[in-house]
Parts: sequence; C-alpha cells; structure tokens
Amino acid sequence: MHEKEKDLIDAFLRGQVDRRGLIKGLGAVGLAAGTAGTLLNLGQTRALAADFDWKAHKGKTIKLLLNKHPYADAMIADLENFKQLTGMNVVYDVFPEDVYFDKVTAALSASSPEYDAFMTGAYMTWTYGPAGWITDLNEWIKDPAKTNPNYAWDDFLPGVKNSCAWNGKPGGALGSDDAKQWCIPWGFEQNNITYNKAMFDKAGVTIPGNMDEMVAAAAKLTKDVGGGVYGIGVRGSRSWATIHPGFLSAYANFDQKDLNVSADGKLSAAMNTAQSKAFHKQWVQMIQESGPKDWSTYTWYQVGTDLGAGASAMIFDADILGYFMNGGDNKMAGKLAFASFKANPAAKAPTPNIWIWSLAMSNFSKDKDATWYFMQWASGPEHGLFGATKMDFVNPVRQSVWKDEMFRDKLNKSYPGYVEMFDASAPGASIKFTAQPLFFDLTTEWAATLQKMVAKEVPVDEGLDKLAESIDGQLKEAGLG
Amino acid sequence: MTAATTQRAGPSGFRISKRVLPYVLSLPALLVCIGILIPFLTSVVYSFQRYRLSQPWARQFNWGDNYISFFTDPKFWNTLKVSLLYAGTTVVLELLLGLAIAMLLQKRSTLNNFISIMLLMPLMTAPALAALMWKLMTNPGFGVLSYLASLIGLQDFRWASSPSTALFTVVLVDIWVYTPFIMILLLAGLRSLPTQPFEAAALDGVPRSFVFFRITLPMLTPYILTATLFRLLDSIQQFDIIYAMTQGGPGDTLTVFQVEAYLNFFQSTNVGRSAALMIILWAITYFLSNIFIKNWLRLRERARGQA
Amino acid sequence: MEHTSLLERILRGVALTLVVVFFMFPIAWIFMMSFQTNETILRIPPQLIFEPTLANYTALITGKLVTAAGTLDIAFMRNLWNSVFLSVTSVAVSLLLGVPAAYAFARHKFRGSEDIAFTLLSFKFAPALLVLLPLTLYFQKLGLANTYIGLIWVYQLICLPLILWIVRGYFEDIPADIEYAYRIGGHSWFATFRKIALPLAGPGIAAAGLLAFIFAWNNFVFALVLASADKQPVTVGALAFITSSGIQYGQISAAIVLSITPTLALALYAQRYLVEGLSLGAVKG
Repeated sequence: MHEKEKDLIDAFLRGQVDRRGLIKGLGAVGLAAGTAGTLLNLGQTRALAADFDWKAHKGKTIKLLLNKHPYADAMIADLENFKQLTGMNVVYDVFPEDVYFDKVTAALSASSPEYDAFMTGAYMTWTYGPAGWITDLNEWIKDPAKTNPNYAWDDFLPGVKNSCAWNGKPGGALGSDDAKQWCIPWGFEQNNITYNKAMFDKAGVTIPGNMDEMVAAAAKLTKDVGGGVYGIGVRGSRSWATIHPGFLSAYANFDQKDLNVSADGKLSAAMNTAQSKAFHKQWVQMIQESGPKDWSTYTWYQVGTDLGAGASAMIFDADILGYFMNGGDNKMAGKLAFASFKANPAAKAPTPNIWIWSLAMSNFSKDKDATWYFMQWASGPEHGLFGATKMDFVNPVRQSVWKDEMFRDKLNKSYPGYVEMFDASAPGASIKFTAQPLFFDLTTEWAATLQKMVAKEVPVDEGLDKLAESIDGQLKEAGLG
Repeated sequence: MTAATTQRAGPSGFRISKRVLPYVLSLPALLVCIGILIPFLTSVVYSFQRYRLSQPWARQFNWGDNYISFFTDPKFWNTLKVSLLYAGTTVVLELLLGLAIAMLLQKRSTLNNFISIMLLMPLMTAPALAALMWKLMTNPGFGVLSYLASLIGLQDFRWASSPSTALFTVVLVDIWVYTPFIMILLLAGLRSLPTQPFEAAALDGVPRSFVFFRITLPMLTPYILTATLFRLLDSIQQFDIIYAMTQGGPGDTLTVFQVEAYLNFFQSTNVGRSAALMIILWAITYFLSNIFIKNWLRLRERARGQA
Repeated sequence: MEHTSLLERILRGVALTLVVVFFMFPIAWIFMMSFQTNETILRIPPQLIFEPTLANYTALITGKLVTAAGTLDIAFMRNLWNSVFLSVTSVAVSLLLGVPAAYAFARHKFRGSEDIAFTLLSFKFAPALLVLLPLTLYFQKLGLANTYIGLIWVYQLICLPLILWIVRGYFEDIPADIEYAYRIGGHSWFATFRKIALPLAGPGIAAAGLLAFIFAWNNFVFALVLASADKQPVTVGALAFITSSGIQYGQISAAIVLSITPTLALALYAQRYLVEGLSLGAVKG
C-alpha cells in the first residue's frame, strides 16, 4: 500500500476526514471504491492493533458452528482480516438452516467441545442458558483487558442488546440489571411491511396505517390486482415461527402479552383477554379473506418466495425477508418497497417483535478467551460496517453503522422506504415474548390454535380459552405456574 | 465360482461343531448391534425421569409420571390415533398398489424390467427432499399439481394445508415414495414362484380369480409379510414427509409420534417426555412385529412341510 | 399369461401407463426444474416452456455458487462422495455380517435362534430419535463422534435388519436337498455355503443389498447429529439450498437428479438380480 493511501485512511480513522472525503481522496489516487473497502478494513485492522494486544492468542485455532445465512457469508468474506489481525486460525462448519438448530442442540446437549462459538437466536438462549451450555458474556465485555477499546458496547441498539440479556428466571425482564448476556446480537429482523408498489398502485391501495386498514387493503388487493395475486403474506406453519413475526408485533402494539408474571414470579397465560380475542378475530379474518390459500404450510420461505415471484402484494414479516426478495434473481427484484407498521391506531409508534441472529459462546469451549477475540471482532464496528456496506449484513445492530452515509445511501438507492421504516420502528423494537423455558411449547401450541381458527375448526374465543387453559396446565406441571 | 480347488472337510481339518456353527455365524451381527442397546437402555432410564435440558436442576426420577400423564392427555390419544391411521392407510394402499404393479410387470421382458427399475426412482429420492418438491408442486400458485387439479375442476383443492385433505396429501406422497419398495419385493417374489401349479391350473381351466386367491396369494404370503413388516415399521415412524409438508398441522391433524417426539426433544428439550413417547412407539412396533413374525414363521414352516 | 385377450392387454397397458405417469411425473418435473432457475420455475400458472440452463449443475459440480451477494462455496460434491462412501461401506459391512447370520437362521434351528433373529430385527424398530441423545453422549466419550467408523456402525441399524430378513427368506427357499447332496459328496459346510447357497441366493442378496443401499443413502439424521460438516451426506447438502434469501428450487432439483444417478446406475446394473428374483423354479423342476 502506498503511503498516501495509508495516511488518508488513518486520517479517516482518526475522524479528520469523513467517509466521502476518504472515498474521494482514494479515487484521486486511483483506487476504486470497492478496493477502498478492503483497504479500509485493512487500515482499521492496523488501527485496532495499535491500541490492543490482538496477537495475544496467536497460533490458536477456534471452531465455529454457523448457519447457512448471508450473515455467515459476510463474516467468512471478511475472515482473512481477522486472521491477519490476530494470527489466529478460524475453522467453521456451516449447516443448512433447515437442520441448523437440530445440530446445535445435538452438539450442546452432548457437551461437545468441538465448537467454541456458534450462531443462535435469542429465543434459543432461553433454553441454552439455563441448560448450562452457554456462557454469560458480561465477564468478557466488561473486562478492558480482554475487550478492545474500540468495541463500543454502548453502540449496540439498546432494545436489541437487552433482548439478548436475561437473568435466567422464568418471566424475568429482558435486559434487567442482574441479566446475563447470553449472546451478542449480530444482525436482526424487525417485522414490518414490504409491499409491491406496482400492485398497490394498480389496486389503488395506500400503505395501511393500522390493523383495520391492513385487513381492508389486503382484501382490496386480493380482489383488484388479479392474476391470482393475494393481498398479504404471513406465516402459518405449526411452529413458533408463525407467532413471532408480524403476528406478535401487531399483538404487542395493542399492549397484549403472551404471559402474565405475578409478583411472586408465577407465570400464567394472558392470551385470552377480550382485546386479544378481538385482535385474533381480525387476524384470522385477514388470513381467511386475503392470505395465501395454503397458509397453514407457510414458513419464512413461502412468504418470501411469493413476494419475490409476484404472487403476493405485501408481506407483514421480517424486513430483511423483503430486503432479500428485492434482490437476487427474484422476479420482483427492485420493485419492492418498505414501510413501518403500527397496528393499533392508539399506539404512538410501531412495536416490532424482533428476531436476532446472535453469537454465543459454548460453555464447553476449551479456550474461551481466544473465542472472545473472535466474537468481539465479528460483532465489532469494523466488521459490521464492512458487512452492511459490502455484503448483505442487514439489519446491523450498531447505531454507528446506521449513521453511516454510505450504508444509508445504498439502502435509499435500491430499497425505497427502508431507512425511514427502520428509523420509525427501531426505537420500539425488542423481543415481546416473556423469557421462559416453555417458549417453544407455548408458541407451537399457539400456532396450532391459530390454524384451527383459520380452518374454522374452533371459534376464536373458545380456542383462546382452551389454549390459555392448556398453557396454564403446562406451566404448573413445569413448576412455573 | 469355478471349483478349481474343492475344500474338503477331512477328518484332520479344522471342523466347527454343528452345534456351535450357527452361533459363530450369527454372533458378529449381534455383537455389532448390541452396542446400540446401551443407548437404548439409557433412553429407557430417561423416560422415567423428569428431564428437561432447560431445567437441569429439576432433573429427577418421576418413575411412571411421563407415561401416566399420557393417559389423561387427549393430545397423546390423538397422536396414537393419527399414527395408526397413517400407518394403516399407507401400508394397505401401498400393498394393494404394489401388488397390482408387480403383477402388471410380472412377465419377463426388457420393457417390464426397465419400467420396474424406473419406478424405483421415487424411492431413491430422499423423503425430505421429495416432500419439499411435492410442497412446491401443490402450491396454489406455482404448483403444477394444483394447476392440473384446477383444470379438472378442483379449483380450491388445498392439499396439505386443509385439515380435511392434509392426511390424504401426506399419504399420497408416502405412496409415491414407498410403493416401489413393496413392488420390487413382490415382483421378485412373483417371479420366483414355481411354474407347475399355474400350468396345471391353466390346463384344468381353473378360473383366474381362483388361481389368484388360492395359489398366487398363499404362495406369495411370506413375501407380502416381509414387505408389509418393513413398511409398517417405517410408516408408523414416519417423520420426514409429514414434518416437511405440514410440521404436524394444520391444528393437530398430523401430530404423529415422531413429530411429537421431535418437537419435544429438539424444541422443548423435554428429554423425559420425548423418550417416553418413543418407548411407547417402540412397544407398539414390537407388538406388531411379533404378530407378523409369528405368522411369517408359521407360513414358512407350512411351506416347507409341503415341499 | 399366454391366453390374454385383446381387451385384457389394452386394460393392462392403460393401467401400466397410469402407474408410470403417477410415479414418473414428479421425477420428470424435477428433472425439468433442474434446468431452470427460480425465475421460470416460479410462474403462475406453471408452464412447460423454458430456456434450459446448465447453471445449476455447473454450480453444484464446480462448487461455486454465484449469487447477488457474491460467490459462495458449496460442498455438494463432497456431500455426494460422503453418501457414496457411507452407503457402500455400510452395505458391505452389513452383507459381511448379515448374510452368514441369515444363513444360520435359515438352515440351523438352534436354541434361541428365533430370539436372536428377532433381536436383530428389533433394531429396525428403535426410532432414531430414541437413541440420539445417549448415542451422541457415548460417541463423544468413545471418540467415535465425527468419524466415518462411528457412522458406519450406526448405519448398521438401517442396513443389517433389512439384509438379514430378506436374505434369510431367500436362503430358506433353497431346497435343503441340494446342499445336502453336495455335502454328502464330502464337502465342508463352508464350501457348500460358498458354492451352493451363496450363488443360489445371489439375486436375493443383491436385491436386499440395493434396498439397504437406498435406505442408507436417504438417511441423514445420524450423520447430521454425529458428524461435522465435512462428513455430511447428499441430503444435507441439498438442504443447503434452502436459504434465508430463498429456496433455490433449480439447484435442489439438480441435486436430487445428481443424487439419484449413482443409485439408479447401480440398480440398472443389478437389474437382472433385482427383478429376476430367485430362479429356483428351474432348480426345483
């Protein structure tokens, strides 16, 4: 690298030159923006090295368990920088998403020392943490000797960061003072609207501002777009994954909860209130009228595929699902737009429930300090920026990345409404479930009940009462109710 | 296999006594499998425990509680009912269809041989992937089967997504995947039957239905029993197809044993309950197999007595 | 079969056509999809006309998948090799162990023979899920986790019962007189087994071996749980095209086609054995 470029990059890192200035300056010395990115990361690598002993674990090898996901792809693309920075070696096993968590559960339940760190969702840590499979990361985050000064733990979006912290007590508030940091957020998903602009225009539909409008808009789209296109894509399979996206986001916007936590820490079902029943009725009606015909088999993949192939006019699901469908070889690539959604007309702001792909450290890791070196790099601001601007590492969990102009420009150019959507809903974004070990039992049964309601096998009121009764029974049996 | 040198068991040669020989022959197979008994027994122990991976501190023996709780749980009875219904339906239909196809292909010809191999292709497709493809083919928008169904007037056929047709759909996929298994076993059986009884019957002008029910079927029964036994053991443990197509839904329509046990183990990490479910499934298959084996042995004995 | 009327022949032809259409249509559809991308696969309504592309196969075989997000490495050919290796060795071991045992059960009624035979069969009815957790724990302790040997051992649960029971039936169908006559000639039991019983039961052994091969090929739970990514079979490899940025139906279809091919080749090669079954009618006559 030439001195001139080095100086320029170092100036940028010291904050003397802004990013545009840097890109312009590098352009002047004959470097394309793409190359600049790689150089930039190299530059940061050197800058990081100045303040912190990155070579402390030189020569060590750690092994990761990864899900086949764009986040993992982005990390792998940048991994060479980590190896250079630390002199460590990183090997990894990538498993398909379909079987990924089975693999994680199998490896951890057998106390396998094979993997040092792995990708997980925050919900899963409600099992892994109490099971003793993962480590509370506060020990490392709060130790300046082990964490580099640029790590900026405060830079993480608070709602996201706190959603990964739990004190391990069933019903304990996420992010409480005594909470353990079970995992580090890596990338996350908010549940909002992604819509097909041309179809909205054709049917003369505007972006719905609340639940009533969404039901009406979906119905109108189903009726008026034609060609077999239906109004709204939401998930419906018999799984927790049906409850956590749009459904729970809207539900929480009406201040409804999954469980009540009493003063003495006992849990009880909370989904059979009058308001919850009204909301369920509306949701069920929306699916019956304008959801996918085979809704009860719909997972992430089908909801996305339909939107990407132009079979649905909008989805109320993860924003990054819409993001992915707006690219690649999808028929509707470049034709989708984004909007935040506030289900309750009386609510002040959207309250999206979130899914957080996170990094957790295995309790069976043979070298936790070395593992933490990888984790702080992978969740650090440099990699976050690299992934967000050069790869599909969205949504970033760091505020600094969201402030980055280059990233915002990239989104604004190809993903209309994405930045506004994010800004509107991020402050209210957090996990809306009650953290407790029966999470999967509860949500699977909830989804099964929704399926029965949509298939008209059980009336909504009765279904919810039965569900609440069954949940209460299970909580009691597990010693939680 | 030309007999260049013929081994002779001379008096001086090493001879394994006739009593020991069968043990020597069967022991290696047994030894290789016996190791698996240990995990099996461990799981039996788990099934008598209150054992959730997410609540390790609460792990303790609760003896029969996991089992007892099933008897009062309507979901368990639903699981039992659905599993037996699924296994019964698939096995009976596949047996009838497999037998019919085997008889269509019975005559030795190059074309028939070729077709019988081609028909094995569904069996060669991993069920999890086959189910994924069927899910696409039955999608109301992109699905070619949904499209074809709409051409014959079934506009709104919902396949796996409606409680009334979900069982039909997964059974259909199961039939598609596994009928070839029965077909190939029965075809081999049919072609190995001695020809004399059939020639004699033809000479005497015995009606074809009589030949089928009184000669073909009885002679084929050992093959039918073997095929049915293996199919039944697999079918009652079906997971891949059902989980990939419906995840046990809609509602609780298809929560068969393996789906329930899978969810209990991998999602709820309720090892005790999952193990208890699996032990019950094991007991059922043990019981069913016993009936089959007894009949199989009886028929074998009888067949040999006639020979 | 010689006296079939014209009507019957027509009916048979129609029935056979229906059978072939039902079983082959999805295969044909998958085959066609393997030459398409999602753009043409996901059309409403589905259409027959498309511009074929070899992109899916190229991606699978070269191991480079070009996506909007960049080039990704895929380990499909490695998965394919794992499947071949695991299935072939497992079936070979099963045959070595199972065929002598099957012969013993067929020929010698010894004390406890039915019990041992039934015990061996009973491994077929232990659901994989039942033994999974303890198995991973013990494999960990024994150092068998993440080894081919461990996997081949566990695969015996799939292959051995099948081979044992099918081959046993074939052995029992061989008239004892033939072997007896040979043994009267002064030949040892081993020579009898090798020269008479094995060749006569050959087709049955081939059929059982092929079926065991198919079931071993299609299993992926054991490898998934007990081994790391470099030892995963083709099924897990194909599932990798279900990604959060979409299901790559074209690549999955190509993966299915590629994964069927070795088994199909084997079946075509062993066709004679498979569909001929036992030709004992001739021996008996």
